[in-house]
Amino acid sequence: MTITEASQVGDEVKGESPSTISGATGSQRVAVRLRKPYETDVEQRFRLTDPSKGLELSKNKHVRRVLKNRKFQFFLILPNQIVFWGVIFLGILGTVNPDLNFATAITWFLWFALVFVMMVVVGRAWCVMCPFGGFAEWIQRKSFWNRTQKALGLGRKFPESIAKYGLITSVGTFLLLTWLEEFFNIAGPGNPEATSIMVIGIVISAVTFFMVFERRTFCRYVCPLSALIGSVGAAGTAAGFRTKDRDKCLNCKTKECMRGGDEGFGCPWYTWPGSADSNLTCGLCSECYKACPSDNVGFFIQKPLTSMIAPLRRRADVAWSVLLLWGLVVFQQFNAVSLYGTIDNWLNTKMHFPQYPNPVDYIGIIFLVTLIMAGIAWVGSKAMKKDAVQLDLSGSPVNFAGAKASSKTIKHSFVDKKSQFRSFMLPLSYGLIPVVGADYFARQLPKFFLNVLKLVPDVGAWFGIGGGTNAKLFNAEILSGNQIVAVQVGVIIVGMLASLYAMRKIIKRDIVPFATSPFATKLVAYGTVLACGVGASWLYVMMHAAT
Amino acid sequence: MTLISEKTKSSEGDQMEKMDIHIFSDRCAGCQECVVRCPTNALKMDSLSWTVVAEDELCVGCRQCERTCPFTAIKINGPVMVDVRIKQEHFKPMSIDHNADELRLPIKSFEDAKKEAMRCLDCPDPTCLRGCPAHNDIPSFIRAVREGNLQEAHSVLSRTSVLPDVCSRVCDQATQCEGSCSWSLAGKQPVAIGLLERFITENADFLPLEKGNKATGLEVAIIGSGPAGIAAATELVKQGAKVTVFEKDSTPGGLITWGIPDFTLPHEVAKRPWDRLINEGVNLKVNTEIKEAEVNDLLGNYDALIIACGASQPIKLPVEGGDLKGVVDATTFLKNGQEAINNGSSISEIEVLGLKGVSSPHILVLGAGNTAMDVARTARRLGASVRAIDWMDQKFAPVRPDELAEAKSEGVEITFSSTLVSLTGNNGRVSTAKIAKTTQTSAKELPKVQSGSTSDEKVDLVVMAMGYRVDPDIQKALNGAPIRKKPAEKVDRRWIASGIFANPAPEFARGQNVGVISLSREIANQLSMIPRRPRMWVVGDALIGPATVVEAMAHGRDAARAIITHKPSKSGGSEVGLYATKTAKVLIAVESRGGTTLKIGEAIQKRISSSDVEVRVQKLNTITMEDIAWADHLILGTWVEGFVVAKVGLPKFTKAWLKTLPPLGGLPTSIYVTYSFNPKDVLGNLAKELEGKGAKIQSKEAFKTTLGGTVDLSGIDNFASSITGQKKGAAKVTTR
Ligand SMILES: Cc1cc2nc3c(=O)[nH]c(=O)nc-3n(C[C@H](O)[C@H](O)[C@H](O)COP(=O)(O)O)c2cc1C
Ligand code: SF4
Ligand code: SF4
Ligand code: SF4
Ligand code: SF4
Ligand code: SF4
Ligand code: SF4
Repeated sequence: MTITEASQVGDEVKGESPSTISGATGSQRVAVRLRKPYETDVEQRFRLTDPSKGLELSKNKHVRRVLKNRKFQFFLILPNQIVFWGVIFLGILGTVNPDLNFATAITWFLWFALVFVMMVVVGRAWCVMCPFGGFAEWIQRKSFWNRTQKALGLGRKFPESIAKYGLITSVGTFLLLTWLEEFFNIAGPGNPEATSIMVIGIVISAVTFFMVFERRTFCRYVCPLSALIGSVGAAGTAAGFRTKDRDKCLNCKTKECMRGGDEGFGCPWYTWPGSADSNLTCGLCSECYKACPSDNVGFFIQKPLTSMIAPLRRRADVAWSVLLLWGLVVFQQFNAVSLYGTIDNWLNTKMHFPQYPNPVDYIGIIFLVTLIMAGIAWVGSKAMKKDAVQLDLSGSPVNFAGAKASSKTIKHSFVDKKSQFRSFMLPLSYGLIPVVGADYFARQLPKFFLNVLKLVPDVGAWFGIGGGTNAKLFNAEILSGNQIVAVQVGVIIVGMLASLYAMRKIIKRDIVPFATSPFATKLVAYGTVLACGVGASWLYVMMHAAT
Repeated sequence: MTLISEKTKSSEGDQMEKMDIHIFSDRCAGCQECVVRCPTNALKMDSLSWTVVAEDELCVGCRQCERTCPFTAIKINGPVMVDVRIKQEHFKPMSIDHNADELRLPIKSFEDAKKEAMRCLDCPDPTCLRGCPAHNDIPSFIRAVREGNLQEAHSVLSRTSVLPDVCSRVCDQATQCEGSCSWSLAGKQPVAIGLLERFITENADFLPLEKGNKATGLEVAIIGSGPAGIAAATELVKQGAKVTVFEKDSTPGGLITWGIPDFTLPHEVAKRPWDRLINEGVNLKVNTEIKEAEVNDLLGNYDALIIACGASQPIKLPVEGGDLKGVVDATTFLKNGQEAINNGSSISEIEVLGLKGVSSPHILVLGAGNTAMDVARTARRLGASVRAIDWMDQKFAPVRPDELAEAKSEGVEITFSSTLVSLTGNNGRVSTAKIAKTTQTSAKELPKVQSGSTSDEKVDLVVMAMGYRVDPDIQKALNGAPIRKKPAEKVDRRWIASGIFANPAPEFARGQNVGVISLSREIANQLSMIPRRPRMWVVGDALIGPATVVEAMAHGRDAARAIITHKPSKSGGSEVGLYATKTAKVLIAVESRGGTTLKIGEAIQKRISSSDVEVRVQKLNTITMEDIAWADHLILGTWVEGFVVAKVGLPKFTKAWLKTLPPLGGLPTSIYVTYSFNPKDVLGNLAKELEGKGAKIQSKEAFKTTLGGTVDLSGIDNFASSITGQKKGAAKVTTR
């Protein structure tokens, strides 16, 4: 007498997996006949991005214990929290000398450099310890670490009209913040008070977003660093939190990792370990790891560059973010060159704009660079088959039935739309990630090498020791200007080589099988990487280690 | 499914609007929660982006996908495409005087029934059946109706229900199955499940019982012959048990015979189940009231006892003048009133009411709930003028608006926010009622009497119909029951996944949170499977206080099924192998932080599993009452927490979990703890606590572990064999 047998009626039932919530006493209490999830070729679909079983760090007992602990994230956030409130208070109350003020010094000399190192190595490691989101999340959850069941705030959904552009909003806020920073000379390093105000501003907007929207909507869509960390992080070695057994997830009836379970919150970042192919949108918070009742989530590492080379889904928002971010970093290099000063002054006089940087040339240069890159991609795409629009992956190492059939009938939104232009532009942009990342990193180096030692006397100054501005360390530099330029160019070269390596793999899978002229596509792709690398290096030489 | 969507699309006014399924592909994680639940198969996966893609033409707008998506990544724009719901027709007698005809009419034709059945989406994760306290397989019986197979539909119903003909008439579907129907959650009119259920029972043959032999040899006593007793007796005789039912009244059926008037539940329908049970050889002892003192005797004479005595004692309002003549309770009035209607005799002829010579008396009914309305309407049929007063504000009163409307149309005057202050009499008989107005500002708060608002009303009879409670004498035997049903503290995640909580106030359910109330019903239902004392189950109103027919029925059914699986025996704890069909079920419930305790649990599982012994290891936080009910033997494993010597005790969660345990009714239980330094008296205390809950402790052991997590395996061997009673791979486990 099984209820399930009776359900096999007519073709409507086709593909369903009749299952029941079976009762204690042998009877079937609730007859549920969920459809069968779509799982054809699922192993294939994720084969390339799935980290190998051997690279699961959480197999280690101690790692496991740490990740299972509900205070894990709290203790990562706490030190940063202390530092940032320190920044806020010292920025306002401390000395106005930016070099001597701890607020400016730690923010711009050390923190930024560290974030970039972390980004390149472990992707979103910053996000797990971020004091901004962390602080707002404590309020939203009404708890520092406990699993609470009801969230504070309105719990709204982020408007789809903006959300559909994915990470692009985050690039927008990053451009805005950078402009403000330059305009008020906050990072110059110019102004401790402005640094405080900026930090307060970020905290206030984070809290506001956390109170209005669900989960970490702020982090996912608004945070100025999100797009940068997410895309550059793809080069990193953190595969993040992933499903161990995919079948178990596909047939999981409860999805605690998404909805929240007894031990953990539902993913604050809207990421499902069951379909994650990178940690682009995973804040490494370990909630899914805690929440999954079947212990089906693991923490994995991977070979560097995997998350840019391997994903089958190339997201348009990531691609455009990479190009825009490239535009920004080029602007930041170019603005140290005297030619820029001339242009900016001229524009400011014409527009009666008070000072550097003129918003028109700021945006203009960034967009120009982005458009040039897109133009190159457009040229490259002319060497692609027109029907590559369908993204038939049959020629690639991955061959699965569903993709071809469905991609014809489906209306995709911005992130997943297909076109001839995109068939070249998306892979190209992914391939550029290392060189873009390297450029951001190199850009931080002068501040770090020239100033980081100041932190010692800066801290000493609180206690009235260390000699303040006269201290030896205050005036010490780790490297000289010329040495810094050499390091910067070195970093760019490393990034360029990584890009070339990645690009070779990307071209092989995603471009050559669909190219009418493979040679032309290769020429454009490699040429772009080289041009970017050489251009950036040249600019660094021109900049003479300017901060 | 195309058939259904086309059908429904073509028939409502706003159908021309276009359906647009919007997937936020940035946020869709491809988890397929929506895909597996979409009734029309409108959602598919795009394997390249691993997001959902939709076929708008197939969508009917039920919003099940929106309700179940964990990331709010799907939005349906467009109409809810469902045909107009069939209307509940009413029989309108020329005069209600002495009229006992059923008022709610059935569906007229098979065509109409099929048409209504077409509205059902056959949801893959049907919320309706979570809303139904009996968990009837609603989509399956409706599918059978659609296919024209009423016999099949009836047999689907009979799997979960022995009283579909009764329930379909008396259930408050708006807060049960229909209120939780997908369409209701989407804000529209649900499928008329109750009417279809009734249509099946009226038009398909009355089914003979499907026989088995799983309970042959068991002798079971049941106290009470109401819906809970009927369901339990039916389940048990079906499987060959010898069943004796004790009923204190002269006729069986309890509430469904005397409590529900014929105009709602016709006499033939109400008595049908007992006709069948007597045919099947159930030993019915009427006019036999069981007192608390006799419960132990019954346990001595029978293998199992089910207490299904209901809540039969009317609640009396303690007011001045409450014991005057002419103040009666609802039971007295309903029993005699129904009889008078059937005999055609007048109200003045009913002796206990003492209305001799009063041809059309004025009756004051206290209460406006279910029973009060039945009283009032019965009184109207006997020619009385009736006013019902209820002290609650209508906004907060747990009343059925359909019933109120029917009563009003029959001339019953209903006043809310009014309470009886006192009664005064004439020659010892009630003549005047002093009534005051009340105010109530929220559902949680009790109404307050407004001072200076009293008025007097001349009355000939006062009927107290404020509800019932369990007889205090038998209540002493119930070990803490009746319990209060309350919202689940820990919500079953499968219920969340179904989307039943997503609309907390569907209009059709009168704004009630159907998810929360359904789940609290379910949790109480699970308790009915666990004996409250060894071999003694308590079900229905006796377990949860005055509730519904369908819940009582479900309890009776599930307690009987628990008895059939566990096969208790009056001659002491039964052993595996005593009955050929029996396998022992062992539940190992574990709290583990570092994994050691869990590993030990799994090691024990390996050692005691065999073809006769089924063993399940589960983490403590996933254990439901259903799991406890499943087990013949419970093994609880936990660890020792403290500061080496100070504050050594059970870990916090284990402590909290023990508090939530109901009485365990003699469940054989073994316990173990793991520790590193010194377990102190943790093991003993745990044993004591469990014994306090009624568990029978069999074996206990403390395993020393190094902090690295290694354990001496020989200790586990000993522990396992002390449970099985044999050296290795044993097949003998002590069970209830
Ligand atoms: C927070 C904590 C406190 C503990 N306190 C005690 C203690 O007071 N006495 C003791 O004998 N063992 C103590 N232990 C050891 C555990 O009881 C032992 O390691 C046990 O095997 C852990 O089981 P698990 O791995 O299943 O969590 C403690 C362990 C922890 C983590
Ligand atoms: S990770 Fe766990 S909770 Fe999430 S889907 Fe997989 S099995 Fe289910
Ligand atoms: S996927 Fe897991 S670790 Fe990543 S953000 Fe979501 S919950 Fe946190
Ligand atoms: S609204 Fe209903 S029919 Fe339409 S896609 Fe969602 S679940 Fe399917
Ligand atoms: S339930 Fe939501 S997240 Fe999951 S596949 Fe459907 S739309 Fe995507
Ligand atoms: S028993 Fe009652 S609640 Fe259940 S389906 Fe029938 S009418 Fe609905
Ligand atoms: S009755 Fe309603 S909820 Fe139940 S299967 Fe039919 S449409 Fe779905």
